[in-house]
Amino acid sequence: MMDDILPAELPLFAVWVIKAVVIFGSLISAAGITTLAERKVSAWIQYRIGPNRVGPFGLLQPLADGVKFIFKEELVPDGANRLMFRLAPMITAAPAMMCIAVIPFAGEVVIGNYNLGNLSITDLSVSVLYVGALTGLGIYGIILGGWSSNSKFSLMGAMRASAQMVSYELTLLLAILSVVLLAGSLDLRAIAESQASSAEGGIGVWNMFLQPVAFVLFIIAMFAETNRHPFDFAECEPELVGGFHTEYSSMKFALFFLGEYCAIIVMCCLVTTFFLGGYDVPFWDSAPWFIQLASFVAKAACFIFLFLWVRWTLPRFRYDQLMGLGWKVMLPLALVNVTVTGAVVSFGWSPLITPVLAVAALIPGVILFARSNPGEASLTGHALSEEGSAS
Amino acid sequence: MEQFLFFLLSLSAIAFAVGVVVVKSPMKSVLSLLGSFVALAMIYLLIGFQFLAAAQLLVYAGAIMVLFLFVVMLLNLSDVNAVFDAPIRVLGQKRIAIAASAAALIGMIALFAGGSVQASESVGAIPAEGYDQIEYLGALIFSRYMIPFQASALLLLATMIGVLVLAKRRRDSASDVNSEEPAQ
Repeated sequence: MMDDILPAELPLFAVWVIKAVVIFGSLISAAGITTLAERKVSAWIQYRIGPNRVGPFGLLQPLADGVKFIFKEELVPDGANRLMFRLAPMITAAPAMMCIAVIPFAGEVVIGNYNLGNLSITDLSVSVLYVGALTGLGIYGIILGGWSSNSKFSLMGAMRASAQMVSYELTLLLAILSVVLLAGSLDLRAIAESQASSAEGGIGVWNMFLQPVAFVLFIIAMFAETNRHPFDFAECEPELVGGFHTEYSSMKFALFFLGEYCAIIVMCCLVTTFFLGGYDVPFWDSAPWFIQLASFVAKAACFIFLFLWVRWTLPRFRYDQLMGLGWKVMLPLALVNVTVTGAVVSFGWSPLITPVLAVAALIPGVILFARSNPGEASLTGHALSEEGSAS
Repeated sequence: MEQFLFFLLSLSAIAFAVGVVVVKSPMKSVLSLLGSFVALAMIYLLIGFQFLAAAQLLVYAGAIMVLFLFVVMLLNLSDVNAVFDAPIRVLGQKRIAIAASAAALIGMIALFAGGSVQASESVGAIPAEGYDQIEYLGALIFSRYMIPFQASALLLLATMIGVLVLAKRRRDSASDVNSEEPAQ
């Protein structure tokens, strides 16, 4: 009966619409669930119960929060640049959401007689650059939000956030670059598939093991890039009230929040794709698409949990420590790692020796660094702060 | 559809570019330059240059314009307004600027109208397959355009070092002044 009503093959446009709606809808719901998870995990870490009033186990809390935000009064501060003030939350949220379009969630999706193609909204040949460009654009929302509020705290939060994001974007992109070198492609799907054991000429090892240095650097940089604890200087409460969103209220504030959580989810998807083989299921090459999707979601969820775990466990850095770490430690490490990876690829050695070489190349550097900066000054940028107070 | 998008994007690119010059607030000026760059990137995307579009966004919109924004925010904006209120006259600055841009415009129109620059068949068409491939671009940069590539890299490095030297010298003299004060 059904076969008579439904067409034999879905038109391409319909497939696009279905994929876009489903993936975008999932992203927004996942962001909502992450806000709940944040409160539940923080409660668990602090021996509290957490939200448990709305719905079973407090599962409907994100909905209640959303409704509350809608009914709150919307304030635009005196002397604010109204156009920019309204535009800023949108500019923050949109790039983070747009990144989800190129993330490969699974291989070919076949439902009944319908083949919907690969499970991602689109497969660009330069999707790594697309992601890089969009994360770069996300900075504008924060700068504009801080600047247009006409408040000192907001402006300082915005300056800090943008300086931090620009600095750590370098490390982030260099860490990605070494993975790109190994895979030989700028396509996220090709990078994910190059780590599967079925890949042509591949050795079936996740990049996490081939590129341990890049993996660690990427994780640290992604915390800084999303302005999350322990690098959340943009909204450092004891110093800056609320940072760039001090003056925001109601749904505009919610939009900033949504953007932040979407950015976290996108980053977790990216780290899964780059370093954990994407939708690869270990030891099962011909897994059906829903198993692949489940594998991807499980890996990404682990990283989302890592974000929450770190936030409620570690203390916040100091701002000069953050900049010192970014420029003096992480950027040189990332450069060394890219050089080593490039050498391995261009000499045609087995990628399996990359971690050994990378760590071997880092040891003299670390020793030199420790000698030149004895004691705690090594990471804290102590010299920097002394100079600052002297002048 | 493509034509409509092209005209929409190029018109907005031009409108933003005009905005850069016309708008008084430096902040808005930077933002309209950003809008112009984004519109340009969209046009590249429309012709099928995915790499160029991504690079345009990554380099210009993502890095350079953020720097511009920083500089503008650190500037004392009231000083800038003072410049607008009482413009500094530099030997008929305005007249020279108008004459130069008018000459450039007339020259361009003359070139196109005179037929020196022919609209070749490839204009408006999508370039050959694989023209935008990363491998192809990379090979070109490191073979045929090796010297310009290295030269521009060297130029950037030299600029960076020059800026550091200039900034450092000023800071040294400032700290000298400070260190003398307690001695007195």
